[in-house]
Amino acid sequence: MSRFSFYDDEAHPSPWQHTWRAFKSSHIALIGLAVLLLFVFFAFFAPLVAPYDPIYQNTEALLIPPSWTANGSIAHLFGTDALGRDLFSRIMYGCRMTFGTSLLVVIIAMLIGVTIGTVAGMLSGVRSSVVNHLLDALMAIPTLLIAIIIVGILGSGLVNSMWAITLALIPQFIHHTRSFVRGEMKKDYIQSSTLDGASNLQLFYYSILPNMFETLVVQGTLALSIAVIDISALGFLNLGAQPPLPELGAILATGLDAGYLAPWSIAIPGISIFLMVLSITIVGDGLRSALRKRVNR
Amino acid sequence: MTRILFRYFVLFTLTLLALCALSFSLIYLFPAEPVTTLTGITPQNLIQHEALINQYHLNSNILVQFGDYLSELFAGNWGVSLISGQPLSKEIMLALPATIELSACAMFIVVVIGIPLGCYSGLRAYSNADFTINSISVTLYSVPVFWLAVIFILTFSLQFGWLPLSGRVNLLFDIPHQTGFLFIDILLADNLDKSAALSDAFLHLILPTLSIALMSTASMIRITRRSIIDVLNKPFIIAAKSKGLSSRQIFVRHVLRNALLPILPLMAMQITTLITNAMIVETLFSWPGIGNWLIQAIYQRDYSALRMGMLAVSTLVVMITIAIDLFNRLIDPSREKFESVTI
Repeated sequence: MSRFSFYDDEAHPSPWQHTWRAFKSSHIALIGLAVLLLFVFFAFFAPLVAPYDPIYQNTEALLIPPSWTANGSIAHLFGTDALGRDLFSRIMYGCRMTFGTSLLVVIIAMLIGVTIGTVAGMLSGVRSSVVNHLLDALMAIPTLLIAIIIVGILGSGLVNSMWAITLALIPQFIHHTRSFVRGEMKKDYIQSSTLDGASNLQLFYYSILPNMFETLVVQGTLALSIAVIDISALGFLNLGAQPPLPELGAILATGLDAGYLAPWSIAIPGISIFLMVLSITIVGDGLRSALRKRVNR
Repeated sequence: MTRILFRYFVLFTLTLLALCALSFSLIYLFPAEPVTTLTGITPQNLIQHEALINQYHLNSNILVQFGDYLSELFAGNWGVSLISGQPLSKEIMLALPATIELSACAMFIVVVIGIPLGCYSGLRAYSNADFTINSISVTLYSVPVFWLAVIFILTFSLQFGWLPLSGRVNLLFDIPHQTGFLFIDILLADNLDKSAALSDAFLHLILPTLSIALMSTASMIRITRRSIIDVLNKPFIIAAKSKGLSSRQIFVRHVLRNALLPILPLMAMQITTLITNAMIVETLFSWPGIGNWLIQAIYQRDYSALRMGMLAVSTLVVMITIAIDLFNRLIDPSREKFESVTI
C-alpha cells in the first residue's frame, strides 16, 4: 500500500546546505572562495611556507627582478626589493598581517556593533530616536579622519590603526543590526515568544540571532573588504604598520621609493591587495545571491 | 513639514555639539600641553603661559571652558597652526574649497556614469551585457585607490607624459585667490589667458578625479542595478504592464522614480568613502586640499591644526549627509525612517 509521506526524502538539507548548494552553482564565486582560502592559508601558515625571513636583508641580492623575467632567479620568485628582502616572503607575511588584522578588526567590530545595535533596536521612543540619529550622523565621519585622530592621540602603529578601523566599522554593524531587529520585533513569531514569557535576552538569543546570522556573515564580508583596504591605506600613508613590518600597504609604500627602477615592487603588493579584496567581494556577492535564492524559493 | 524641519534642525545642532565636544576633548587627549593644542602657541616663558591660561579660562570649571571654547569657535578665533603660525581659519578656508572641487567633480562622474549604467544592467538583468558591466564594476570596486593613483601617475604622467603630475594648475598662471574654487577664480581673474588657464586646470583635474571616482562609480552601478531589479519585481509594474503602458512609459514613470528614492541615502554614505579616498589621493597628487593638509599636519604632529581640521571636515560631511537625508525625507514622506536597501 502506497502511503503519502512528507518524510520520504532520506535527508533534509539544513538551511546552510541550501545556501551552499546555491553558492556552489556559481563558478565565479567558487573561484573567489578558492583564492580567499589561499589567503587564509597564508594568514595562518606563512611562517611555515615562506622561503625567507621577511625582514632579512641580503645585500648580495638587491633589486633582483621576478623569476619570469630574463634576469630573474628562481631563488627569489617575486624578486627582491631595494634592501635585498625577498618579496615573495614579504607578500606572504603581508597577507598574514593585513588579512589577519582585518579579520580580527571585523570580529571585534561585529561583536560590539551587534550588541549596541540590538539594544538600540529594542529601545523605543525618544531615547532610541536620539541614539539612532546621532549614530547615523556620526557614521558619516570618514575613516581616515578617525584614524588620523587616533594616531594623533596614541601615536602611529599597527595596533592603533586597528583601533581606528574598528571604531570606524562599528556604526555600520549597529545600523544594520538595529534595522534588522526593529523589523523582526514586529513579526508574529517574536510576539508569540513574548507571550510565552521570553525576556528580551532570550528573544534575541533564541529567535532573532539565528535569523540574523547569515545577513551578519554577508555584512561581515563587506566590512572585511573595507577593513583590508583601510589597513593597507593607513600602512601606505605610514600611519599604520611601520616600515620594517611586512604589511601590504607599507610594502607598497617602500616599493614606491625604487618604483622607477623596480616596477614589480609596486605591481606585486598592489595586485595582492587587489586580489584579496576582489576575492572577498566575490565571495560576499556569491553568499548574498545564494541567500536571496534560498529565501525567495 | 515644519515638524520635520525642526527635527532635522535639532539633530543637526546636537550632532554639531557632539563634534565640538569631541574636538574640545582633543585638547586634553593629545600628548601636548592643553594650552598649546588650544591656541597653537608654544609659551616661551611662565608669564606668557599664565597669561594664555587666564585668557582661555583653562583653570576654571570644565563646562565654563567648553562654553568659552564654543564662543571662540563662533567668533572665528580658531587658533593658529603650531608649525606655520598662520591662523587656522585662513588655512582651512584655503584648503577646503580645493577638496570640495575635487569631490564634486568625482561625484558628478559617479552620478553621470554610474546611474545610467546601473539602470541599463538592471533592466537587462542576467543578460550578457549585465554580466559584463557587473564584473567590471566588481573589479573596479576592489582596486585600492592609492595603488590606482600610483599606476595612473606612472603610466599617464611619467611614461607617456600626457597629463600633469601634481598640483591644481601650472604655477605660471598667477591666479589671485578669491573664492578658493579654481575654476571660478580663473573666470573672475583679470589679465589672464582664460582659455589656456582653464584647459590647464582641467588637465590637472583629470587623474585625481578619475582615481577617486572609479571605485564609487562601481558601487553606484551595483546599488542602482539592485534597486532597479527590486522595483521591477514589484506588483505595480505588472499592473502597469497589464494596463498597456509601453516599456518606456513604465521605465520613466514607475521604475526610475521608485528605484532612485532608496539610492539617495546610500549616496550620502558614498560621500564618506569619496572624501576618504579624496584625502588619500590628494597626498599622492600634491593637491592642496584639506586631506593633504591634515596628513601633513599628522606627520608634523601639528595638534592645533588636527583639532580644527577634524572639526571642519566632519562638520562638512555631517552637513551634507543630513541635507541629503532631509531632502530624501521631504520628497518621499512615505519612507520608513530606517529603511535601507542592499547592494
